[in-house]
Amino acid sequence: MTRNIPSPEVAPVHDSPRRVTRRRVGLAATATGLLVALAGCARNAPQDTFQPAGENARSIDNLQRPVFYIAGVIGILVFAAVGYIVWRFKDRGQELPIQGHGKPILEIGPIVLSAALLLGIGVPTVATVFKLAKTSDTQCVVIVTGQQWWWEYTYPVQPGCAAGGIKQPIVTSGQLVVPAKTHVLAEIQSNDVIHSYWIPKLNGKRDAVPGRTHTLRLEADQPGIYSGQCTEFCGLSHARMRMQVAALDQAHFDTWVTNQTAPYQKPTDPAAITGEATFQANCSRCHQVDGMADSAGKPIISQPELYVVSGSAPNLSHLMSRNTFAGAVWDLLTPACRDKVWHAKPEEFSELYLQGVSRECLNEKDLRDWIRDAPAKKPMYSSDAQIASNNGLSRGMPNLKLKDDQISQIIDYLVTRK
Amino acid sequence: MAIIERPSTTPAVAGSAPSFVGPADAYGAFRRPVTSRGWRSWVFTVDHKKLGIMYGVVAFCFFLVGGLEALLIRTQLAAPDNTVLSAGTYNQMFTMHATTMIFLFVMPMVSGFANYMVPLQIGARDVAFPRLNAFGFWCFLVGGIFLNTSWFLGGAADGGWFMYQPNASHLFSPSHGVDYWALGVQITGIASLTGAINLIVTIINMRAPGMTMWKMPIFTWMVLVVQFLLVFSLPVITVALFLLTFSRVFGGQFFNVQAGADPLLWQHLFWIFGHPEVYILILPSFGIVSEVLPVFSRKPLFGYKFVAFSGAAIGFVGFGVWAHHMFASGLGPLSVAVFSVGTMMIAIPTGVKIINWTLTMWGGKLRFTTAMLFAIGLVIEFTIGGLSGVTHAVSPSDTQQTDTYYIVAHFHYVLFGGAIFGLFAGFYYWWPKIFGKLLNERIGKWNFWLMVIGMNLTFGPMHMIGLQGQPRRMVVWPQNLTGDGLFNLGFWNKVATVGSYILGLGVLTFVWNVTRTHLLRKGEVAPLDPWDARTLEWMTSNPPKEHNFDAIPTVHEVDEFFHRKYEEVETDHGVRLVKTRSAEEILADQEAHADAHIHMPSPSYWPVVLAVGLVIVAYGVIYSVLLAVVGALITLGASFAWALEPSTADPSDFDPPAGTPGKELANV
Amino acid sequence: MSDIAAHPEVIHAVDGHDDGHAGSHGTSTGLSNNKLAMWLFLGSECLLFGGLISTYMLYRGRNGTGPGPDALWDIPLTSISSFVLLMSSLTMVLAVSHAHQGNDRKTQIWLSVTALLGATFVGAQVYEFTSFYHEGLGYTTSLFSSSFYTLTGFHGVHVSVGIIMLMALVAMIGKDKIPGNKAESVELIGLYWHFVDVVWIVIFTLVYLIPA
Repeated sequence: MTRNIPSPEVAPVHDSPRRVTRRRVGLAATATGLLVALAGCARNAPQDTFQPAGENARSIDNLQRPVFYIAGVIGILVFAAVGYIVWRFKDRGQELPIQGHGKPILEIGPIVLSAALLLGIGVPTVATVFKLAKTSDTQCVVIVTGQQWWWEYTYPVQPGCAAGGIKQPIVTSGQLVVPAKTHVLAEIQSNDVIHSYWIPKLNGKRDAVPGRTHTLRLEADQPGIYSGQCTEFCGLSHARMRMQVAALDQAHFDTWVTNQTAPYQKPTDPAAITGEATFQANCSRCHQVDGMADSAGKPIISQPELYVVSGSAPNLSHLMSRNTFAGAVWDLLTPACRDKVWHAKPEEFSELYLQGVSRECLNEKDLRDWIRDAPAKKPMYSSDAQIASNNGLSRGMPNLKLKDDQISQIIDYLVTRK
Repeated sequence: MAIIERPSTTPAVAGSAPSFVGPADAYGAFRRPVTSRGWRSWVFTVDHKKLGIMYGVVAFCFFLVGGLEALLIRTQLAAPDNTVLSAGTYNQMFTMHATTMIFLFVMPMVSGFANYMVPLQIGARDVAFPRLNAFGFWCFLVGGIFLNTSWFLGGAADGGWFMYQPNASHLFSPSHGVDYWALGVQITGIASLTGAINLIVTIINMRAPGMTMWKMPIFTWMVLVVQFLLVFSLPVITVALFLLTFSRVFGGQFFNVQAGADPLLWQHLFWIFGHPEVYILILPSFGIVSEVLPVFSRKPLFGYKFVAFSGAAIGFVGFGVWAHHMFASGLGPLSVAVFSVGTMMIAIPTGVKIINWTLTMWGGKLRFTTAMLFAIGLVIEFTIGGLSGVTHAVSPSDTQQTDTYYIVAHFHYVLFGGAIFGLFAGFYYWWPKIFGKLLNERIGKWNFWLMVIGMNLTFGPMHMIGLQGQPRRMVVWPQNLTGDGLFNLGFWNKVATVGSYILGLGVLTFVWNVTRTHLLRKGEVAPLDPWDARTLEWMTSNPPKEHNFDAIPTVHEVDEFFHRKYEEVETDHGVRLVKTRSAEEILADQEAHADAHIHMPSPSYWPVVLAVGLVIVAYGVIYSVLLAVVGALITLGASFAWALEPSTADPSDFDPPAGTPGKELANV
Repeated sequence: MSDIAAHPEVIHAVDGHDDGHAGSHGTSTGLSNNKLAMWLFLGSECLLFGGLISTYMLYRGRNGTGPGPDALWDIPLTSISSFVLLMSSLTMVLAVSHAHQGNDRKTQIWLSVTALLGATFVGAQVYEFTSFYHEGLGYTTSLFSSSFYTLTGFHGVHVSVGIIMLMALVAMIGKDKIPGNKAESVELIGLYWHFVDVVWIVIFTLVYLIPA
C-alpha cells in the first residue's frame, strides 16, 4: 500500500491516445460552438440581435461585436493552453515536479493586461450608455403601455411626428406605427405588472414598471416591420405578448395619422350594421370604438376599468389597419397576404401596409376562434370562477359564450374598421 | 461503527472548570438519545460527518427532482407551440427548477461538503456548534419538503425564482404557491445562516495548532469567504421575504402600486442578496477544483495566496454589482454606467483563478482520474461562462441579451459547468474518504463524457437561440420567428432538448455508479490514501473515526499531509522529491500518540424538533392561526429544552448507566 | 433565531486535552466561540434592520389618504420610552459586571430590572400602536403604515425575545442550571440587548426625530 504512484486499478493513471483525442475533439467542438454562436447560424431571424436596423441598435452592435470577438479569442487561447498542457504534461512516468507555489510575478502581467482590456471596453460602454439615454433630440413621442398581455400605444397631441403634428390623441395597440428615419421616443409605462419592451433590431429592451415612466429611443432606417416580444416575465401568457413596429415613410405615416383621426364611419353593409349592434351589446363595455353612438345617438364610452384588472382593453376603432391581434400574436392577414406586406421592399412597404386587412385577406379562422373562446386560445385569468374570486375583475378577455352567428356578425362589423 | 464515548464524570482539569451542572437535573424526564445504531443515530446526530452525508443525500435527491423539472421544460420547448405543459404548469416548472437547484441542491450540497470536510481539513474534531449544525440540516430538509408539497396543495409558485413584484403579489398570483415559496426559502435561509455562523467560528477558532490562515486548505478558504457572503446577504432576502409574506398574508402595502409602492424596491432587495448568491454557489466549487487540480497534477496550487485573495475579492466586489441584473429596469444612465464598470472589474479576480489553475497543471504530472476530468471540465466550461458574462457586463449589450436564452446559456455554463462540475469533482475525489469505497473509474469516465457532451449540447445552442432573439420563460416559441435555413432556432431548440436528455443520462450514470458501488457491493475498498493527496482530511482513516483524529496534528505547511510523505533530496541529477513515509505510517504514528480524553458532543432531540416546529408555523401562516400557535409552542419548548441541555450526555443516559470515568468506549 | 445563537455550545472537540468547558480557552484566536458567533449574528442583524429601515425611509412620506407621521407622533411619550430602553442597557452592564464577579444574587436582580425596563418599553409600544390604530393607522392603510409597523414591530419582537431570554436566564441562574460558563451567558445576552438598544436609537432618530 505504500506506493509512490497508485496502481491503475486504484486510480487509473493511463490515458490512452483515444481519450486524448476525445478531449481534443471536445475542445475543438466547444471552440467551434463559440465561433458558431458569434457568426449566428439562423439567417433572417426576425429578432436577431446582431442585425441592427436603426441608429440605436447599431450603436449597441458596434459596441458588442468587438467584445464578442475579443472574448472569442481569449476563449480559444485558454482552450489551446489547457489542451496543450493536458497533452504535454500527462503522466508518462516523469519525475515528480518540485513543489513550489510559483512565481507571483507571472500573474501580474495578465492582471494588468486584463485591466487594460476592460478599460478599453469600459470607456465606450459608458459613452454608449449615455448616448442611448439621450432624449433631447426627440422628434416624436409615443406612450407605450404594457398590461397583461398586450401593448397599447397612445400618441399624445404634439407638434412633431407627422407633418402638421398630431392634433388629437391616437390610441392603438399591438403594432406601433412610426415614421422611419425619425427619432421616436417611447415613454414606457405599465398598468399592472412589469413588462419589457424589446424590438431587437431597433434597440435594447426597457422595462415597463407600473408607477414609473421609462424612455426608450426607437429609430428605423427603412420602412418595414420589426418584430419584438415582451421580455420581462409577466404571468400566464408572457409567451403570448408580442409586438411589432411598423415603420412607414413620412408621407405614408402622415396618411396613417389622418386615417386614425378620421371621424367614425358608420357601416353601410347590412351584415355589418347588424354586427355593429351585436358589437355594442357584447364588446363595447370593454372595447372602445371612437365615435360610435348607441341608437339614441349617445356616444358609447367603454369602461374596461369595471371589468379588467389592468383597466384597459384594446381600442378597436381601426382594428383592420393593423396586421395582428390579441397581443400581436395572431395574424389578421392570411399567410400569403401577410408575406406580401412583411417581406415587401422598403420602398413598397408603406403603401402595402396602409392597405390594411381586406375581407379577402382576412385570417378569419384565428379571429373567429378568439371571439368564440379567448382563454382557450391564450391562457388568461378570466374563467367565471376566477373572475368571481377576484372581485369581478378578469385578467384578459373572458369567454363571452357567443353563438356562431353573433361571431359572424361581429366579424362583419370589425372588417369595416380600417 | 460510530463510537460514542462516555464522558468522564469528574472534570479532569479542576479549578479552571466552571461548576459542573448535572444534565439529568437540567431537563428531567428525557434521556439523551445516545445510541450509535439504527435510525436514531442519524435523526438525533450532531456529528458533522453524518450531517454532511445527510446534507449530500437529500440535496442529491432534490437535484434529481430539479433535473426532472428541467427535462420537462426542455421537452415542452422541443417543438414550436408544443403542448406537453400548460402555461400555468410551465411557469411553476421553471420557478421550481431554479429554486430547487439553487436553494435545495447547490447550496445544501456545498453545506454537505463544508460540514464534512472543513473540520477534517483544519484538524478539528467537530464544528463549533454541533447542535446548531443539526438544526441547520433539519431546517433545510423540512424547508425543501415544505416547498415541494405546494405541488400537491394548489400549485407551486409561478413567479419565477426572482419573484418580481407585483407579478408575484396576491392579485397576480392568487394560488398559495408564492406563500409556500416565501416561507420555504425563509426556512432554508435559517439553515444557511446558522450554518454560516457555525462554519465561520469553526474555521476562525478551531484550526489545528500551527495552521495559520495562510496555511489553510483552499477549499476551507473558499468556504470561509462564502459563509461571510451568506451572513451579510441572507438578512436582505429575509427582509424581502418578510415583506412578501406580510403583503400576501396580512395585506401589507409594500408592493401595491396603487398605494404608491415602487416595484424596484423588491428588485434591489432581491439582487443585493441574489448577486452574492451567485458567488455563494460558485466559490465552493472553485475551492474543490483548487484541491483536485494540485493533487492530480502533483504540484501545489499555483499562487495559493492569489487564489485565496481573488476569492475574497470576488466575494467583496460581488456585493457591489447587484444592479447589473437590472440594466433594463430603468435605473438611469449614471447607475447603469457605474454598475457596468463595477461588473467588469469582477472579471479580473476571476481571470486570476483561471490562470492559476492552468499554471498549476503546467509542469505537473497529470493523472486523468474522473475527479481531475471534472476539474479540467470546470476550467473550460467556466471560462466560456465567464467570457459570456463579460459580454453582458457591457450594459448596452446586456439590454439586448438580458431575459433571453443567451443569459440562460451564460449562467448554466457558470452554474452547471462551474458549480456542478466542481461538485462532481468533489464526489469522485472525496468519495473514498467519506464512504471508504472507490467509485468505479470507468463508469466515472462515462459519467464525465456524457455530462460534458450533454451540457454543451444543451446550453451551447442557447447562446444562439438567445442572440437570435428568443426570450426566456416562454412556454411556447412560434415557428414564424425561427428564421430561415436548416440551422434556425427550431433546430437549435431540438438540439438543446436532445442535449438535456444526454445530460440526464450522464447524471443517471453517476446514480448507477453509486448503486453499483454500495447497493450491489461491487465497490472497491479504498486504500488509505488513494490519490496521494495533500491535505489533512486524508491523514485519518477512511471513513474517519467519530472523533476524526486520534491526535490533533500540528501543521507546518500548506499541504501538510504531502510534506509529511515527501522530502526533497539532493541527488546527482539535482533535487528530487522522494516519498519517505507512507500514509499508513503517518496514521500509525498518530494512533500511537492518541489523545487521552476525547469528548465528543452528544446527540440531541431538539434540533429536529425545533425545525419541525418551524415548518408547522409555516403551514399555520398559510392555513390556520391555530396551527401556527401549535408550531410556535413547539418551537419555544424546543428552544428552552435546547438551552437547558448540556453539550454532553450524563452517564445516566447511557444504558446501562456508566460509572467508570475516563476513556471507555461505549458501543451502545 | 436569536435565542439559538445566544446559547453556549460545547467545544470539547476543540482540543483533546480540554475537558469540557466553554469559553475562549483553546481556540485558535483566543476569542470565545460563543462571542464570535454572537458578533456574527449581530452583524447579520444589522443588515436585516438595514433592509427594514431602507424600506421605511423609501415609504415614509407615502401615507396616501391615511394619517401621516406628523399627525401621529407623540414625541414626549416615545422619548420617555426610548430613555427607559437606554437605561436598561445600563442595568444590563451592571448585571454583566456582577456575573463576572460571581455574584448570582445581584446578577439576578439587575437582569430582572433590565427585563422590567424592556417590558416597559414594549408596553409603551403596544400603547402607541393601539392609539395609532384608533387614529386610523391600520397595518394596511398605506405604504407608510405597513412599513412603520413592520420596522418597529420587528424591533419590538427583538426586545420581547430579549426579555424572554433575560427571564429564562434569571430562572436558570436561580436553579443553577446553566450549562457552560455562566458569566459568558450573561455577557452574550447583554451583547444582544445592547445591539437591540443601539438599533432603537437609529430607528428613533430616523423615524421620529427627522421630519419626513
